[in-house]
Formats: sequence, C-alpha cells, structure tokens
Amino acid sequence: MLLTFARAEALRTLRNRRYLIFVVAFPVLLYLINANIYGSRSDGSGVGYNVVLMVSMAAYGALAASMMSSAVPLATERQTGWLRQIQITPLPSWAVVAAKLGSSMALVLPSLLLVGLVAIVQQGVSLPPERWAELLVALWLGVVPFVALGLALGSALSAEAAQPATMICMFALTIAGGMWFPPELFGSGMKAVAELTPSYHYASIGWSLAGGHGPAMPDVLVVLAWAVVLGGAAAVLYRRATVRV
Amino acid sequence: MNGIVFDHVSKHYGDVLAVDDLSLTIEPGTTVALLGPNGAGKSTSINLLLGLLKPSRGTITVHGRAPAQAVAAGEMGAMLQDGALIPELTVKETVDLVRGLYPRPLALDDILAMADLTAIAGRRASRLSGGQAQRVRFALAVAGAPRVLLLDEPTAAMDVESRLRFWAAMHDYAAGGRTVLFATHYLEEADEHSDRVIVIARGRLAADGTADQIKADAGGQTVSFSLGAQPAAGLDRLPGVTAVEITDGAAVLHTTDADATLAGLYRGTTLDVRDLRLSSADLEAAFLRLTRES
Repeated sequence: MLLTFARAEALRTLRNRRYLIFVVAFPVLLYLINANIYGSRSDGSGVGYNVVLMVSMAAYGALAASMMSSAVPLATERQTGWLRQIQITPLPSWAVVAAKLGSSMALVLPSLLLVGLVAIVQQGVSLPPERWAELLVALWLGVVPFVALGLALGSALSAEAAQPATMICMFALTIAGGMWFPPELFGSGMKAVAELTPSYHYASIGWSLAGGHGPAMPDVLVVLAWAVVLGGAAAVLYRRATVRV
Repeated sequence: MNGIVFDHVSKHYGDVLAVDDLSLTIEPGTTVALLGPNGAGKSTSINLLLGLLKPSRGTITVHGRAPAQAVAAGEMGAMLQDGALIPELTVKETVDLVRGLYPRPLALDDILAMADLTAIAGRRASRLSGGQAQRVRFALAVAGAPRVLLLDEPTAAMDVESRLRFWAAMHDYAAGGRTVLFATHYLEEADEHSDRVIVIARGRLAADGTADQIKADAGGQTVSFSLGAQPAAGLDRLPGVTAVEITDGAAVLHTTDADATLAGLYRGTTLDVRDLRLSSADLEAAFLRLTRES
C-alpha cells in the first residue's frame, strides 16, 4: 500500500506543468546553451567543460526536482485536508513520509537521465560505463537532504509561504553549489558560506566522480550529515503538523 | 460488543470547551444522526472518533479499540468537512488509490457505481463540480468497506437531487450491517435518514432517541383547524394535547401524538372541523429551544 501511494504521488507530479518546465526542460536547455558556448574548453585537470556542465545541470535538475516535488505539494495537502483523508486510512504516518521521500527521489531521475542523454547525443560525451553508474547513483542518492528540506518546509509552512520559500532555498542552494556559475568565481567570503551547504558538496561529489577520481570523504560526510539533520527536522516538523493533541 | 463508546469525553482548545463530558454508546449496525447547531461540537466529536484529535479527558473506543487502532485496522471511513482532492488525479485514480490503502476494500467498479461516478471516472479532480467532488469524497469514505462510516455534514455543497441520491447511497451502504454516524444541522435530514438522533449543544448531550421521541420531547406536532364560533371547551382534554391556542376562531393544538389527537377530535367531539392542518413546522423552533436550554 506504500507503493500504491508513492505511485500516485509520482503520477500527479509528472502531470504538473510547473514540474515539467522547471525540472525537466530547464536543466536540459541550460545545458545545451552553456555546453555550446563553453563545452569545448576543459578545466584545470583536463576534464571537458561539457562533462563538468553536464554534472552541474544534472545536479541542478535533481535539486529542483527533489524540492519542488516535496515542499509545496505537502503544504497544500495539509491545508486542503487531503492529508487528513489519508491519515484516516490504515496507511501509517511513517509510510506517508516514506512514500513522499520515495516518489520525490523517483522524480529526480528524469532530469538526471535526460541531461546525461543530451550530453551524450549532442555533446558526444563519453565516459566508461562504471563511471556513468557511479555518477548516477551518487547524484541520485545525494538528493536525500534536499527532499528532507522540502518535506520540512512543507510541514512547517502554509502553501502560500512554502512556494516562495522553496524557490529561495532552491536558488540559494543551486548558486552555493556552483551549479550555475563555477565555484572558482566565488570570493573567499562567499566560498566559506557555500562550503557549509549540502549542495556545494553534492555537486563536488559529482565533479570528482566525472573526473575519474572517487568522491572526497569530507564531501560525502557533509552530505550525510545534512541528510541526518534535515531528515530529523522533517520528521519532527511533520509530526508536529499532523499529530494534534 | 458496542460499536462506538464515548466515556465522559471532554475536549478543550485553550479556554474553549468544545466537547463537555459527553457519554454515549452506539450499537453496531445503526445509523445515527449527530444533530446540533454550528459550533455544537459535532466536528470535534468526529475528529476525536477518528483519532485526529485526542480527548482532554475521558476515553473513546470503536469496537473495543482506541480510535487510532481502529483506523489502522481499516475499520473507519469518513467524509470530513474540508477534504480536497488531488487536482492532477482522475476520479478513478483517486478512488483506486484510497481503496488500495485498506486491507479488504470494495471492488472499484462497485464503489464508482454506488457513488454515481462511473460516467465521470476518467475526469481529473480539478475539473469536477462541487457536487461531483462531494460524491468522490463519499466514494473515498466507503472505498475501504469500513465497518464504521462517519460523515461530517455530507450534503453541505449538494443540490436537492444530489442530496436524494446521496442519501440513497448512504442507505445502501448502511444496509450491510455497518454503523453510520452523520453530523448535520438539518433536522429533516436527521429525521428521515437515521434510526436514532443524538442532539448535542455546546458540547453536551441535549437529547437522545428516535426522531419521533425527540420531536415529542421537543414539543411535538401541532394540529390546527378553523373553529369559527364553536366552543373550544374540551379540546385540552383530547389525547396527547399539551396546549391549546385559540385566536380569531382558529385553534392550534400542541400534541405529543398527532394520531391520537386527531382520532379524539373526530370521534370524541361533534365539532365541525375545517381547514385542518397537521404540521411539524415548529420543529425548528423546538429544536432551537432544545439546544438553547441545555
């Protein structure tokens, strides 16, 4: 029954035009534009910008998908009473959260796969199969902190407030992660702030893997730590929002 | 075993006492109306029964279990007051989703037919009228074949025809030996569609019985006719009569048993009765009195 619920959650988001534009079309378009301008250059270690940008845009798409499919839908459902309709079914409340996490994670895959596909087809990007696999798994599992942040925002805020809050968090994390502008452009102050965010380390894991060296342990630890912290926050806020005394 | 038991249940929000020491027992298989004006504590009682709220004092059981356990076992279905649907999902997808969350649901086609949704099964929720959405919410409430069905002012957004069909569907569902509790502030609905009426006002039990008993307790019916110049003596001694009013040759008899009063009027007197009217028109007033007094 958890699967039934998760499938319906995913289906509704796939039918949402805003999701399709921001999450599926935007990253692909941005990749096409940037890769056609800078794609032929390569970074200091010799990795082509068409690969670097692929990772950036896939990471951006994944970040956007994970937050957009979690925060506003949850806030809206709480407000309109749909969540209560689900609460009075036998589905336990941990399963509601698990299904939302699962469906949000599934909805990350289209942007990851599409950006990769466009990179292969249009930019002729070629990586060894195991590197593709590592990259896909890392960028996929690495979105857990962002889904958790989305669920926390959706639990804590009204639907009206969740919309702008999600946008602000999403853009701040995208920029801090260096997904739109290379992190080398950051000043030292900005870099210090960026290094505190999960998105900076999430993107770094992607770039390291694409460059053929394994992810740096600090990056993995920071992303994991944020997953635990934000996951805990989401659990507490969801409980507070749904269990009334 | 009792279906639903409220044992000295109170619920307050801050200083406001929404339910005040309410005790009642509902037998399984009965259809019960929870009647009361707005703010009487109807919705609070239903939310308590679903475990969505916890009582400040007292205990509630459903088939001997705590509400949360009854919900987890799939014994409860409900139509709540604010129950939006997911705009991107179709009627069929929505019903099938909720159905899939229960251990022993009804068949999808049966649910759609019962709620009169077969013709619009493929329509997305964002394109439904208010009445259609309400039917979907009824379908969601019965989808899991719950033994206890709770309806919180279910006909609020419906026109007359939708109401008729809704109540027919509700009776179909209740006929399977299920317990139905519906909240309403319409006396007629309580009267026509329940085996028993529980009147609550300010969170307290104001009256409890069959609709007829409630009516009788609340002042009953009136028999009125034009008396003209005939003598009024003896009218107050007719069976069931509790009060007699005579104004400008028109007599109004308040009675707890209109049948007996009429029989007495025709058989026991030689009066020439014209323009006879039998009414429960003052029921609303009586109901207001009932709920104000408590």
